[in-house]
Amino acid sequence: MPPHGPRPPGAISRRRFLGGSMALAGAAAAASLSGCGSSSAAAEGPLQFWNFYAPPPSDDPATVARAQWMQATVDQWNAENSEQIELVFAPVLGSEKLSTAFAAGTGPDIFLISPGDIIRYINGDVLVDLEPYLSQEAIDDFFPDNMATRVVGDQVFALPMEIEPLALYYSRPAFEQAGLSEGDIPATWDELLDIADKLVSAGQGGWVVPTTQGYYQNFVWYPWMWQGGGRVMSDDGMSAAFDSQATIDALTLWKSGVELGLTPRVEPAGDDIVSSFVEGYASMWQSGIWSISDFQRKAPDFDLGVFPLPVPPGGEPATSLGGWAFAANAMGRNPDAAARFCAWALGSTDDAGITRVAEWCVQTKTDIPPRQSALDRANEMGGFDTELMRTFRDDIFPSGRGEPRFPPVIYKAVSDAIQSCQLAGGDAADQAATGAQAIDAYLQTYEGAQL
Amino acid sequence: MTGAIDTAGPAPATHKRPGRSRAAASDLAKRERRAAYLFLSPNLIGLTVFVAVPMLLSIVLAFFSVDGFGGYTFVGTANFERMVGDPQFIDSLGRTMIYLFVLVPGLFLSGLGLALLVRSQFPLVGLFRTALFAPNVVSLVVVALIWNFLLTDDVGFVAKLLGRLGITAPSWLGDPSYALGTVMVITIWFSMGYYMLIFLAGLQDIPREFYEVASIDGAGPWQTFRNVTWPMLKPTSFFILLTSTIAVMTGGLEMLVILTSGGPANSTTLIVYYVYQQAFVYGEFGYASAIGSIMVLILLAWSALLFALTRGGRFTHAD
Repeated sequence: MPPHGPRPPGAISRRRFLGGSMALAGAAAAASLSGCGSSSAAAEGPLQFWNFYAPPPSDDPATVARAQWMQATVDQWNAENSEQIELVFAPVLGSEKLSTAFAAGTGPDIFLISPGDIIRYINGDVLVDLEPYLSQEAIDDFFPDNMATRVVGDQVFALPMEIEPLALYYSRPAFEQAGLSEGDIPATWDELLDIADKLVSAGQGGWVVPTTQGYYQNFVWYPWMWQGGGRVMSDDGMSAAFDSQATIDALTLWKSGVELGLTPRVEPAGDDIVSSFVEGYASMWQSGIWSISDFQRKAPDFDLGVFPLPVPPGGEPATSLGGWAFAANAMGRNPDAAARFCAWALGSTDDAGITRVAEWCVQTKTDIPPRQSALDRANEMGGFDTELMRTFRDDIFPSGRGEPRFPPVIYKAVSDAIQSCQLAGGDAADQAATGAQAIDAYLQTYEGAQL
Repeated sequence: MTGAIDTAGPAPATHKRPGRSRAAASDLAKRERRAAYLFLSPNLIGLTVFVAVPMLLSIVLAFFSVDGFGGYTFVGTANFERMVGDPQFIDSLGRTMIYLFVLVPGLFLSGLGLALLVRSQFPLVGLFRTALFAPNVVSLVVVALIWNFLLTDDVGFVAKLLGRLGITAPSWLGDPSYALGTVMVITIWFSMGYYMLIFLAGLQDIPREFYEVASIDGAGPWQTFRNVTWPMLKPTSFFILLTSTIAVMTGGLEMLVILTSGGPANSTTLIVYYVYQQAFVYGEFGYASAIGSIMVLILLAWSALLFALTRGGRFTHAD
């Protein structure tokens, strides 16, 4: 889909729509509502960078450290460029706030975006193609599997700032209490259910996976399907591939966890992994690399372990790679400057640029850098000296795939199948078939970037 | 005698000519009208800008496909036709009707019952009234978070309490068989204090003489309620039926988002959550507006029916 192309026949602009509606709604309110037609978050002043790190919302040291990295990056840009940028704190950026701002024509000039959201923005022609702003060396430096989510053909619509793979954390105290050791760490699905059963039978917490419906649950579930060779879409993105044995097996695994009483129906301790492990409410928990910093901050002495997701018989290891990215608003006040900033901040190939990315990933956070050069630098900086970080880098990250970028209808079809099987006793084969039908029906009218 | 009231002579005003008197009255009426509009204007402006205009815009929006990035395509009635073939919309509408038919009577009866309990004067009655109304002054977000912790599986307060009684608690928010019922109970707990207050005001408006007459006539508590309290509460009942229906149909979104996110397995996806999901999660602003318009129509129809059946809350011609 060509970005910034003409509107399709019959389409009208927001301004015309509002104008026409105002005639119906009455002149009294027209003046106030037509203000929605401005094209970015602020009509004048510095370009706005919406993010959820800075200015820091609390004095928590980890939060402050992340905010300082963001501020230092923007300060350096501002010192070297005439186009000034200011950081705007925007909580829950992934959904309502951003979509509402864009719908009202007040989207930010620069913003953070997740893979779960990006396809709407790519198809809406509101993201600047960053490829012209990057050297080939820089593009080649990004890990391709992780970048794929943000790429359409040769166009790069966002630059990842981090990579966050998923794995299973486990509580060593809980294992010990249940008479289990490192040698009992499950490598297969059967072993996973067996170990979870032993833990629960010994009075320990169970195996936690998300149960709340939403993008995050899908993100966490995909690897279980991928391990058996399953996919949501065919390779060409033209049809559903969801109705497969691998899908049925993955749906059945999560269903079994709940039905056998090994997986709680509601995430314990308000979905807080640290409290759950410390209080003994959970023994194994599927989460991302970010949880390492949560433990460092809240329970640094807790004896925590991590291992790759177990695989089904004949399956291959797989995990999802999450993480946020910088994107520039093509409808903003200065898309060129916004794009240059994104490329400079995360795609510079000079020493300072590489160090900047590495510092973000291993000094302010516990993530995998999205570029090979930054990963090498992070190694030199000692970012992977701990057992947990090494396990992620060496055993988990290599089997990772970028989080899929599905439109809401496809996400919902997958979500309904997961929810039905996991929590409502749905038949996995029926749900896989129903999901595939819904996806195929949607694809008949889908127009946009390849999925 | 100085200071005595002079009743002999007519007051000066009566000497005014009839024409001048009418003009003065007219001036006064104009001034009163102006004052009335002045007092009404803040609310009128607020309602126009923040309710009437957005409502009209929303109805207009229902006839457009909105891409969420400033593009609007006129699609006629396509968004309304889509509803007919959308099983999730139909499911959420059906679920909302069940919610409505349980919750409105539930709120009505709990509010009335509590009002009857706390209307008499007894020691610490003020404290009881305050305690019953207290949940209503707390943010719904806070209410949802507290209940989320109380109802946590196995380790929550409710699960532990039932466990001591030898009862294994179900997964209140994680089992589709219980989730909607749990949301209903929490909503009644949260809202009943408000409806109690309204009923209490209605009860305190009933003249004591009516009860004295009933007592003299030898009426027992049930007869007194049936023949005095209930008829006199009809306007209050009308108000509560109308407002609780609107509140139940359009409110409680924060609680659904925090407690269940519409799950498990869509079991708490009420129509208000579905509209939110379509608009703000999927970016389907046109479709969400169409569903919202249907909600408005349903509520208008219900309100009109209620007005017609109760003759505007008076219930009888004689009243």
